[in-house]
Amino acid sequence: MFTKKQKRINVVLVAVMLVMSLFFLFPVIWMLANSFKTDAAITGDMNSLAAFIPPELSGSFLDNYISVLTDTNFIRYMANTLFYAAVLIVLGIIVNGLAGYALAKINFPFKERWLLIIMLLMIVPMETIITIHFLFIAKLGLLNNIIGYVLPMIVNPFNIFLFRQVFVSLPDDVYEAAQLDFCSPVKYFFTMVLPMSKSVVATVSVFTFLNVWNDYLWPSLVFTSSDLLTAQIGLNAITSNENTTMGQTLAVITLVTIPVIIIYALFSKQIVEGVVSTGSKEG
Amino acid sequence: MKKKTESILGMAFFGPALVLLTLFLFVPMVLTLIFSFTDFFALNPGLTHFVGLDNYFQVFKDEDFRQAFGNTVKFVLIIVPLQGLGALGLALLINRVTRCKTYFKVAFFIPVVMSLAVVSTLWVQIYSPEGILNSLLAGLGIDAKPFIHSSAQALPSIAIMSAWQGVGYQMIIFLGGLQAINPALYEAAEMDHASGWQKFRDITLPELKPLCVFVFITITIGAFRMLVQPMVMTGGGPSHSTYTMVYDIYETGTVNWEIGLASTMAIVFAFFVMILTVIQTILTRDKEGKKHVYKKAKKN
Amino acid sequence: MSFIELKNVCKQYANTNKKAVTDFNLEIEEKEFIAFVGPSGCGKSTTLRMIAGFEEITSGELYIDGKKMNEIAPRDRGISMVFQNYALYPHMTVEKNIGYGLKNMKVPAKEIKEKVDWAIEILGLSEYRYRKPKNLSGGQRQRVALGRAIVKNQKVFLMDEPLSNLDAKLRVSMRNEISKLHRSLGSTTIYVTHDQVEAMTMADRIVIMKDGIVQQIGRPMEVYEHPVNKFVAGFIGSPQMNFFDVTVDGNKIMFADGNSIGVTDEMAEKLKKYNRRLIFGIRGEDIKFDPQNLDIYKENRQQAVIDNTEIMGNENNLYFEFGGVTAVARVSKYEVCKIGDKVDFVIVPHKIHFFDIDTEEAVIL
Repeated sequence: MFTKKQKRINVVLVAVMLVMSLFFLFPVIWMLANSFKTDAAITGDMNSLAAFIPPELSGSFLDNYISVLTDTNFIRYMANTLFYAAVLIVLGIIVNGLAGYALAKINFPFKERWLLIIMLLMIVPMETIITIHFLFIAKLGLLNNIIGYVLPMIVNPFNIFLFRQVFVSLPDDVYEAAQLDFCSPVKYFFTMVLPMSKSVVATVSVFTFLNVWNDYLWPSLVFTSSDLLTAQIGLNAITSNENTTMGQTLAVITLVTIPVIIIYALFSKQIVEGVVSTGSKEG
Repeated sequence: MKKKTESILGMAFFGPALVLLTLFLFVPMVLTLIFSFTDFFALNPGLTHFVGLDNYFQVFKDEDFRQAFGNTVKFVLIIVPLQGLGALGLALLINRVTRCKTYFKVAFFIPVVMSLAVVSTLWVQIYSPEGILNSLLAGLGIDAKPFIHSSAQALPSIAIMSAWQGVGYQMIIFLGGLQAINPALYEAAEMDHASGWQKFRDITLPELKPLCVFVFITITIGAFRMLVQPMVMTGGGPSHSTYTMVYDIYETGTVNWEIGLASTMAIVFAFFVMILTVIQTILTRDKEGKKHVYKKAKKN
Repeated sequence: MSFIELKNVCKQYANTNKKAVTDFNLEIEEKEFIAFVGPSGCGKSTTLRMIAGFEEITSGELYIDGKKMNEIAPRDRGISMVFQNYALYPHMTVEKNIGYGLKNMKVPAKEIKEKVDWAIEILGLSEYRYRKPKNLSGGQRQRVALGRAIVKNQKVFLMDEPLSNLDAKLRVSMRNEISKLHRSLGSTTIYVTHDQVEAMTMADRIVIMKDGIVQQIGRPMEVYEHPVNKFVAGFIGSPQMNFFDVTVDGNKIMFADGNSIGVTDEMAEKLKKYNRRLIFGIRGEDIKFDPQNLDIYKENRQQAVIDNTEIMGNENNLYFEFGGVTAVARVSKYEVCKIGDKVDFVIVPHKIHFFDIDTEEAVIL
């Protein structure tokens, strides 16, 4: 219920915010509009409103995109990243999920103490130990090797804790019923616990994906071979090449963002849930 | 189930994580601490000596590291008010409007979706001397600025860009917090003839206080960990004006292979970040704000 | 040897010095329906869970079908169980829930389908076959839980307060269904409940527990008519049995408020040795207001003023002050009383129970 005055204020407010949002998004609008242009057109439009308007649909409209997709290793980089993400999601759910389940439901020696250690490990910033990781992987001869990239990233104290918090509220009687139905503990974890906790599995998967997709430092240390680069590192390799035009650069960064937009659109619920719970551990 | 069987099962489930935790978290932490007292040089490990606290004295005397630390502090001072208050303001406005709510939420969230590398690459173009931002400023009658090409403006430029990139994230947190405030409080205040400002001061702000603490410290921690933006945009320059602590750790450790010194820096860095995390945990211990948002988010 | 045998079974949790269950002894015959009943925390569920194998037996022995079960895993004890909160698998349909155990037992698919069809048929779940638990009502979930238990052809059925989450009406109808199911399947059943009505109506024998100790084991009418102590007397039957502190003075029993009733010489003789002070118990339906009984026991007529009435339709409860406590009588619907009425009543002498004032054990007359 609003008074007349409040209604008028509201209309003004919406108008002001619409303008604000346009100013806020000007870099994105500019990126999209100019990703379809030649460098000459980009420079030519720079000082007019045309800088924010895509060119007319013509034969050369998609040239930047086509050249990025065909002339560079870009598709390879995207495929690499998707593959790494898939591997890490599967391994991460198994390793962290099993650990979270043990800490939530199984009585084993020092259980409480393990949990405390996990919680303490959550506050260690990864940047502190990344040098040692690099040293390890280099010593093991696993640079430029997917194993070297994946190995240090599988276990994640935060995900263990998240899994534990969800699993701890699962009803015990379902486990007992499953025992009487001849279901082994391992089978119970994979066919009951994970399906019953779809929401947290989705949250962890989404955040693992975003982490792998957006990560910069670690893949830049492990991978130097062009065949193995992730999208973010590959993007840097492409855009720092002298022959890459500004339009192609804008096309590349647009393409790199598309999978993330799809993920956000599909899993906005899990992401909003995770935004707060990951809080201090973003990135 | 018998106790022994259960113990074995528990260790079997926890085991893989324990092995990886030990190898990739615990051992590296201990090694970092040990190396920080040595002059370990990875290209010539045979010549390693125990040097006591020498590295720590050196780090605090080191021009680059001191500048990196100063840059980090400057970065924090710009980005925390900008991003934190910006997020709070946006959340308050969006909470207020009755139309286009979803559009506003999505619009201000879009930069969050873009990775730091993407945003940095894009803003290199935006901040270019002949770039779109200077042409917009020219339209307003403002002279062209060098932005990331001047040692005076580079750090603030990166800070503004980073705030732009991240503000939507905290906005969502604040929106959750605002929606979790019991509407009956406002109705009661209305009955008590409270003005709009009074309602904001006496209800909204106190209710959001725990969340504010959480958000502001989160932004601070993020700022301490900054690396990708200068790496992609400026290479730490011009004249080290955008050099950060993590950048220094990275270059010292993985480019120059001075693991001993890099470890010392990492320990100093970890010290600051962990102090901040502990403060955050203590201040938001009741987790009021977090819980509210979490519940709200679940409902939506 | 009986089909199921518990010998001195005890349960003591770590870090406690009190036993949760003490010296539980019971022999159960094949096809028998046994109910464990008692207030919450009396150890009835713990005992059931020890039989199932979900709780370790601290000491004592458990035999099922002649085999010692203490060290056997739950799945190998030949039992199936219905849980208080049903414990259905939330992401599986009704059909999958019921067939899950058989699938894990590597029963051929055709046979699984036959058995599931049969269970779904007799439980009336046909239209819900492809639904998931969250789309079922409480009663339907209960049926699925039953279905999951019966398809496995196990010899022993354990039920842990299966009806406690249902509303009163549904509880009565499910009670009947479970009884019928038991009669047609003939599986040995142990049924845990806090509701004495369920125990009385369904069980062949009742085990009444309190504080981890078995108070009495017997057929429903046996425990109703001959409770061994004050606890059982008070727990079984509704409204609760009336208890009065009395003193025996020769042929007279004196109540705290000065009223007294006479007893026969024979009874007085037997009561002599009990230290004069006793607890006197009488069930509500053995306090009579009708002219016929008033006439038979006229020498013991008492007077009371009705404080409150509970009209239930078929019969009514009348409350009145007597013997220093508020007593309740259960009368037929034809004996209409109003609050404030001054009425005569008698206590049927051969229905009186006496309990020792210290041990609360029944005094056998």
